Amino acid sequence: MDKSRQVIVMCLITHMGLIFFLYPADIIASLSVGQWSAVLFGFICHVSMVAVYTKGLSYCAPRNVIDLFQSAGNAFAFLALLPLAIYFVMMIIITVRAYAEIVTVIFLGNTPLWTIMLLFLAVSTLISSWGVESLFRTAMLVALLFFPFLILVIVLSFQNADWHYLLPLMDRKAASFSYVFHRPYLQSMFAFVGGFLFLGFIPSHVPYQRRKIVWFSFVLLPFFLISVYVPLLTFGENTASKFPFPFIMAVDTVDVSWLMFDRVTMFFMISLLCFVILFLALVKWEMLLLLRRALPAAKAPAVSVLLAVFVFIVCLLVPNWSAVEQMLWWNTYLRLYAAFVIPLVTFALGFSRRRKEAIES
Amino acid sequence: MKMRLARLTLFALIVAGTTALTGCWDIKDINHRALPIVMGVKQTGQSYKVLLLVPDTRDTETSAKIISESGNTINEILDKINKNMENKVDLLHLKVIVFERSVAEKGLGQSIESFMRSRDIPNKTFCAISVGMLEPLFEKLSTASKIGGMEVYDFFEKNAGWSPEVVQTRIWEVFRSMDSYTRDVVIPTIRPGRTTTIESTGAAVIKNGKMVGTIDSEKALLYNLFKGAGTQGKIEVMHHATVKIEADRLTNSSKLHEGQATLSSLLHLKVTVLETVGDPSESEIKREIDDQLSARFQTMLRDAQSKEADFLGLGQLFRDKLSRDDLQAWRSKYYPFMKIHFKVHVIIQDEGLLKSKS
Repeated sequence: MDKSRQVIVMCLITHMGLIFFLYPADIIASLSVGQWSAVLFGFICHVSMVAVYTKGLSYCAPRNVIDLFQSAGNAFAFLALLPLAIYFVMMIIITVRAYAEIVTVIFLGNTPLWTIMLLFLAVSTLISSWGVESLFRTAMLVALLFFPFLILVIVLSFQNADWHYLLPLMDRKAASFSYVFHRPYLQSMFAFVGGFLFLGFIPSHVPYQRRKIVWFSFVLLPFFLISVYVPLLTFGENTASKFPFPFIMAVDTVDVSWLMFDRVTMFFMISLLCFVILFLALVKWEMLLLLRRALPAAKAPAVSVLLAVFVFIVCLLVPNWSAVEQMLWWNTYLRLYAAFVIPLVTFALGFSRRRKEAIES
Repeated sequence: MKMRLARLTLFALIVAGTTALTGCWDIKDINHRALPIVMGVKQTGQSYKVLLLVPDTRDTETSAKIISESGNTINEILDKINKNMENKVDLLHLKVIVFERSVAEKGLGQSIESFMRSRDIPNKTFCAISVGMLEPLFEKLSTASKIGGMEVYDFFEKNAGWSPEVVQTRIWEVFRSMDSYTRDVVIPTIRPGRTTTIESTGAAVIKNGKMVGTIDSEKALLYNLFKGAGTQGKIEVMHHATVKIEADRLTNSSKLHEGQATLSSLLHLKVTVLETVGDPSESEIKREIDDQLSARFQTMLRDAQSKEADFLGLGQLFRDKLSRDDLQAWRSKYYPFMKIHFKVHVIIQDEGLLKSKS
C-alpha cells in the first residue's frame, strides 16, 4: 500500500514545528530589506536537495541510506555517517533545550526547565521506540487534530498587518546575496535541514512516491514566508528585529472578541509543540537506526533510554539561552554537511550503482 | 508473565506520572490572585508611582480598591506591592494602562519597553493618558464603579462603549512607533467625567515615545478614519444640517517628484440626514461636509507637520518611492514639506423619513 500521504504529512509537520520560532528572527537579522529573497533562496536549496536526495534513494530502491553507504565499504559508511550521527544528537539536544526555554519564556513562567525537557524526552522516546509506522500514524493523528487550529491562528495573525511594510522590496544587499555566508542566515538553515533526512531511513515496507514528496514540499513555502512576513507587516522591520520570537509576538497582538480565549497564542504554541515532539521522536528513531547498525549488540529499548538520559544530562548542563545559540552556531558545519553532502553522496552512490546494474544485466 | 508484569508497572508509572503533570507548577488558586484591571503610572522626579485598580468581589457586591506604591522602576514597585499583599498580583488580565501626562511628556520609552519585555502583561493592553493627576481619576473609578473597575475597559472596547472619536492604542502600537521611521502614534487622553465616570478629551500626539502635542476629539475621528478603525455611527453637526456617517472609505495616492512629496486623498462618505436647519439642498449639505472636514483635516495636518510627528502614518504611503536610508529622513526632510490634497466625496444615502429639497 502506498504510504505517500503519511510520509508527506510527517515531512510537513516536522518542518512546521521548526519554522515559526527561531527562523523568522534569523532571517530578519540577516536582512533589513527584501527578506523574501533570503527565504526563497533557502527554500530553493531545500527543494533541490530534497529532489536530489530522493532521486538518489530511488536509484537504489529497496535499500535505505545506511545500506547504500555500507555498500561502498564499511569504513566509508562509518566516516560518512559519523558526522550525521553527531548532528542528530546535537539536534536533539538543541531542540529539547531551546523549546523548553521557549515554553518557559512564553507561557509556563514558573515551571522549571527540567520538567519540560523531561516531558519532551519521555514522550518522544516512547513514540520512537514503537517504530516508524506508529510514528507516521501518530503524525497523521496530530496533524488532523492540530492543523485546523494552526490554520485558524495563521489566518488571524494577519489581523494587524500593514501591507506598506512590504516595501521597499529590494536593495543592494538583498540582490547581491552577500548575507548568505553570515551567521544569522546560516543559522536559519536550521529550519530546513533535519526534517527531510528521514526519507532515506524509511524501510522498504513503507513505500512512497518520491515525486509527490518533492511537489508537496512547495506547500511549505507559504509558511516560511508567513513566519517572516507576519511580524514584519505587523511591527515593521525596526521593531520586529528586536524580538527573539517575532512571530509569537505578532500572534500575541491578535485581538478576537468572539473567541472565548484571550490569547490565541496558546493554541498555536501547543500545536507546534506537538509537532516538535514528533520531530524529536523522528530524529531519535533515525539515530537509533544508525546506532543499531554500528553496534549490533545494542538492544533497542535500552539504547533508546540511554540516549534519552544522555541528552537530558547534557541539556541540564546548558546554562542559558546564549549557550543554546552558541550550540546552534557550532552545529552549523554539521548542518551544512547533513543538508548538502549527504544528499549529494546519496545521489552519486545511487547513480553509480544503477549504472553498474545496467552494465551487469 | 514477566512481560505482563513489566507492562503493568509501566502503566502504573504513567498513571502516577499524569497526576504530577497536570500542566501547572506552583499553582496559585484564582482566589489567591489579585487581578488588576487598570494600572496607573506617574513620575515624580526620578521615582515612579504605580496605582492598581483591583476588583474586590464580596458576596453581594463588586467594588474596586486602589493599591499604590512608589519606587525607582515599575517592576520594583510591583514587587513591593506583591510583598505587602495577601494575594499574588497577576497582571495577565490587565486591560488599560493610564500614564499621567507628565510621564508622557518626559518619555514613555522605559515603561513601554518594560511592559513589552514582561512576560505577564499582554502586549494588546490599551494605553491612555490622564490629563490631570492620576489619583482623582482612580478615586472616581473606584467610587463610581459597580462592576469592579471594568468601566475603563468598556470605554475603549469596540463592542461596548467605544465611539468613533475615541482612539484605541495598544502597547505594541506605541512600542512600534518608538523605532519607526514613518509612523508615530496618538494615545487617547481621559479625565474623570463630571457626570460619567470617564470623559474623553481627544488624544495626545506621541513622537518617538514622547508627547509633543494634543488633538481634540473631532480630529481624533479623522485619525480613526485614516487608521481604518471606522467612523460608522458618528454624527456630524454643521450649520445647516446634522448627518450621520453610515460608511467611509479612503483612497490615497502618493507622488514624489524632485524631493517633493504630494499626497491626494479622497474620502468617500455615505451619510444619512438626521436634522436640517432651514431648508438646505442636497448639494449644499454635501459641500458643507466637504468644507468642514477638509478644513479640520488641513489644520490637523499643518500642526502635525510643524511638529514633525507623522501620526497618520503618511510616510507608509511613500515606502515604495523611497529607499530605506531616505525613509530614515522622512520626518525631517520630506514630511514637513509634504503637500496634501484632501477631498470628501459625499453620498447622501437617504434623508430619513422626511423629504427635503433636491
